[in-house]
Order: sequence, then structure tokens, then C-alpha cells
Amino acid sequence: MRCSAASKQLQLYIDKQLTVQQVRQLETHLTTCRTCQEDLLLLEKVASSLRELPPVAEPANLTIQIMQRVAMTPQKPRERYSLLRPSLLEALAVVLLATITTLGIIWQQPTLRAVLPFANGHDLISQAFANTLNMLINENMGTLMLALWVVGTLLGVCITLALAGNEMRTEWFKAMMDRLPVR
Amino acid sequence: MHPVQRLGIALPHSVSPVTEQDEKQLVISSKKGDQDAFAQLVQQHQRRVFNLAFRMLQQYEEANEVTQETFLAAWQGLPSFRGDAQFSTWLYRIAYNCALKQLEQRKRDKALQVAVQAEQITANIGQEQRVDAALEAHAHQAIVQEQLSQLPAKYRIVLILRHLQEMTYEEMAEILTMPIGTIKTHLFRARNLLKERLEKFGAELNTRTRGQ
Repeated sequence: MRCSAASKQLQLYIDKQLTVQQVRQLETHLTTCRTCQEDLLLLEKVASSLRELPPVAEPANLTIQIMQRVAMTPQKPRERYSLLRPSLLEALAVVLLATITTLGIIWQQPTLRAVLPFANGHDLISQAFANTLNMLINENMGTLMLALWVVGTLLGVCITLALAGNEMRTEWFKAMMDRLPVR
Repeated sequence: MHPVQRLGIALPHSVSPVTEQDEKQLVISSKKGDQDAFAQLVQQHQRRVFNLAFRMLQQYEEANEVTQETFLAAWQGLPSFRGDAQFSTWLYRIAYNCALKQLEQRKRDKALQVAVQAEQITANIGQEQRVDAALEAHAHQAIVQEQLSQLPAKYRIVLILRHLQEMTYEEMAEILTMPIGTIKTHLFRARNLLKERLEKFGAELNTRTRGQ
């Protein structure tokens, strides 16, 4: 076992998270490696110093103080259907994003497209757009579909987040940030 | 400042522990607005919540206020508590968020910040004399305690939950709403930071001993 691998395992070792096999391997390494031995000793000192920090007594009248405040505070009624009560701004964002998505879907279906007063294949804009698209399809169909799929997914995520409300959005964002490996 | 009273007893519960079933019943009653049932929940959990807040904030009065805020928020939010998680997990999550809010408030409150800095300067002056007494058995603990207060909040909380409240990775992940991988990363970094500090201290001590 190398020291780099051992140093990662030392942390799991003091948390008793290693398998019997891993413990055996690590302990074999420890018998020959002085640096890792010292590292383990220091880590154990850190853990034991923390564990032995004495508990502190709460104020004697803490329960009374809390209950006095509780007596003056009504409970908040359970929030129902908060998902279906977006703010005006959130509602507008959802409508806008949903419109874009719907147009995207309609545009993929030639029969539906013909119903639209625009982009039906006869005006200049849609012809230019169709030409560009055909060029891209001929060029690389797979990449184009992937790009469209990514855009569609992103739109879906944005709509969900807009509807989910501020609290859920903050939590989602926090969870995403926590998952980033480097910050 | 309020004198900090150390306890010669273990942390877990300030009153005789209730069974899981009893606690569920107390939570159900509290959800319906039963204040007596809630008072029992307060008594059951106040010591652990207070100690979590105290170790996060290192300040007795602030810990007292944060503990009260935590239970008040729990009381207000109880009707929305779905019972997916254990009551204690939910409560500690509130406590952690209240402590973070208090730390934010502290940052905003410049007057207090100046006071804390002054306190730190005094602590640093005292450090010189303390090095001589460092051979005593509690030296490492003193360093760890001092360094704990200087770590970023996200590292401090994992150390508190793991080593002071003796929680598992899974429990910590649930309280902090983080994946277990992130908990491990934070815990390992936090312990490594403290380890480095102890290492540095050991080296300083050796130099001093050789110098004498």
C-alpha cells in the first residue's frame, strides 16, 4: 500500500468505516511506515480532543424562557399547494418558457406548423431557418439532436424550478453547490 | 458575560430519555398545538441543541438566543413537519440554520466584530505564556478548541456532529442535506486542518525545548 492511499484510509479508519480486509492492509502498512503512524497519532489526537470537550450546561431557566415565547407565538398553519401558488414573476417566467417549449414542439410537426400564421414554410424567415436546419442535419444529425435535447431538458428544468418556489430553488442551488468538487 | 458552567456528565440527554414511540406521540400532540407535549420535547433536546449552538458560536449568550430561536421556529413549523425524518434530525437542521444565520448577523454587526477581534488579540497575547504550560495534558485539547472556532462554519459543523454529538455519516448527511461524499470531504479536510495545526504546534514546541 502506498502512503497516498493510506492517508485517505486513515480518516476512515478512525471513523471505523473500513472493512476487515482494509484494516488488515492498513495496519500492515502502518507497521512499516513511520510517517503514516505519526499521521494516525495526530488524527486520533484531534478526534479525542474534540470528543473530550466537556458539555456545557444550558441556562437553568431555558425551558421556561422557550415556553414563554412559545405561549405567545401561534403555530403556522400547514402550507398546502404552495407549488400551485407561484408569484406573478414566477408565473410569467413559466408562461414564457412554456411558450418557447410549445413552439419548439409544434415546429417539429409539419402539420401543426402549417396552422401557424408564421414559420409555416412560406415566409422568408422560416425558409432561411429551414435552410440552416437542413444544412445542420446534413452536416451532423447526432450533434443537432443532442443539442436540441439539451435545450429541451434545460427548459424543463427551468420551468420546474420557476414553479417550485423560492425555498425549493434555494435548497436545490445549495445542494448543487455542495456537490461541486472544487470551490 | 455569563459564566460557562462545565458539566461532569455525558451530553446525550438532560432528562430521562423517552422512547421513540413516546417521542412520536409528543410530536403528534405538539403538531396539534399541545404546549405541554412540546415542553417535554424541549426538555428532551435542549442540551444537545444548546451545545451544538455553543460550539458553533463559541459564545454563551448567543448560543442561548439561538437555542430559543430554534425551538420557536420548530414550534411554528411543526404543523408542516411531515415526519419523513426523525424529529431530532429536523430539529438539528433548524438549529444549524439558526446558528448560520447568527454567524451572518455577526458579520453584519461591525461593532461586535471589532469586539471579537479585540478578544482574539488578547487571546494571542496570552498564547505566549500558554506555550510554556503546553506540556500539560490539555494542551492539545486547548489548541483544537481554539482552532475549531477559526474553521469555516461548514467544517466546524461536521466536526461537532461527528465527534461531540457522535453522529454517523448518514445522520450528518440528513441533517445538513448533503450527500455523504460531501460530508466525508468536509470532515476529512476539517480534521486535516486541525492535524496540521497540531503538527505545527509540536514542531514549535520542539524548537523551544531545544533552545532552552
